[in-house]
Amino acid sequence: MTELDIAKLALEYAQRRPQEILKLALEKFDNSVISFSGAEDVVLIDMASKIKKDFKVFSIDTGRLHPETYRLLDKVREHYGIKLEVIFPESSQVEALVREKGLFSFYKDGHKECCGIRKVRPLRRKLATLDAWITGQRKDQSPSTRANIPVIQVDTAFSTSDHTLIKFNPLANWSSAQVWEYIRANGLPYNELHTKGFISIGCEPCTRAVLPSQHEREGRWWWEEAIAKECGFHETNLVEK
Amino acid sequence: MKITMVKKIKADSSPCRKSADVLEKLEKSGLIDRIDRIVVADEREPSSEGLALALRHKVEAAPFFIVENDDGSTRVYTAYFRFLKDVLDQKISESEELSELMDQNPDLDFI
Repeated sequence: MTELDIAKLALEYAQRRPQEILKLALEKFDNSVISFSGAEDVVLIDMASKIKKDFKVFSIDTGRLHPETYRLLDKVREHYGIKLEVIFPESSQVEALVREKGLFSFYKDGHKECCGIRKVRPLRRKLATLDAWITGQRKDQSPSTRANIPVIQVDTAFSTSDHTLIKFNPLANWSSAQVWEYIRANGLPYNELHTKGFISIGCEPCTRAVLPSQHEREGRWWWEEAIAKECGFHETNLVEK
Repeated sequence: MKITMVKKIKADSSPCRKSADVLEKLEKSGLIDRIDRIVVADEREPSSEGLALALRHKVEAAPFFIVENDDGSTRVYTAYFRFLKDVLDQKISESEELSELMDQNPDLDFI
């Protein structure tokens, strides 16, 4: 499929139901896999289970997830009778990072180095073997970075000159409320952390519960806000000449 | 080719963390010699040249690099490793490459 084909499909499916988008992904791409983060994206697994039996799911175990998330991974495996593939970071790379900087370097040096080793590297390794992947990304998760995500796109972050990867975001247009309505109405298993005020769930040291009316992103890497403020150019600094 | 680096100076007269970090890396690697000008965006001085450049190029955070080519074209780099690779022709490590990837895809680490 060319980029143009994907753009046409994205347009055609832009307002379709998540189930239709997911069906297209699972039926059009044999080599497609659902990425399950251990949070609200359990909805995708439930929808997929109603479309076909032999869909594939993977999760990344960074080694720093909450116990609640590990419990959900197993609960989902049992509930749907699926072989959830759990992928891990390269141990030598984690060992080198910890040897050099300790176990909590992200609080000082920022989270990207650790995320790169524990999450993005194994993700890239996995995605290199696929034609398409399916994520639970939604527009309402981040007004600044996800407001414009299409339901289908060429994944420019992980495609290479000789491998085009397609990314499906069936829940892109759904709100958090719609996701939770689906979870409750269908009795889906969910992460216990959601009952403790967590919305966006990642690794244990880098995720916290948020207060009412706080955006879910405020529960992730909150200490880095200070650096962003420190190095940012703010309206008070900028005076048009 | 002319390279200008813009660094931010905070109200207490020290550079912001990222600016200090990038400057240290440039100095350690000797690449600082390839930078033609270092311009200051001074929080205490709204009319400082660096803040004007940030406004002109719509850059939201320091440090950043402005590369003016001999053909008159200008390119702005807000990602340090991309600048190293594209402009200074440096090899970057896989971890630097991944850091770059995350900078360019800000929601990637939320996966």
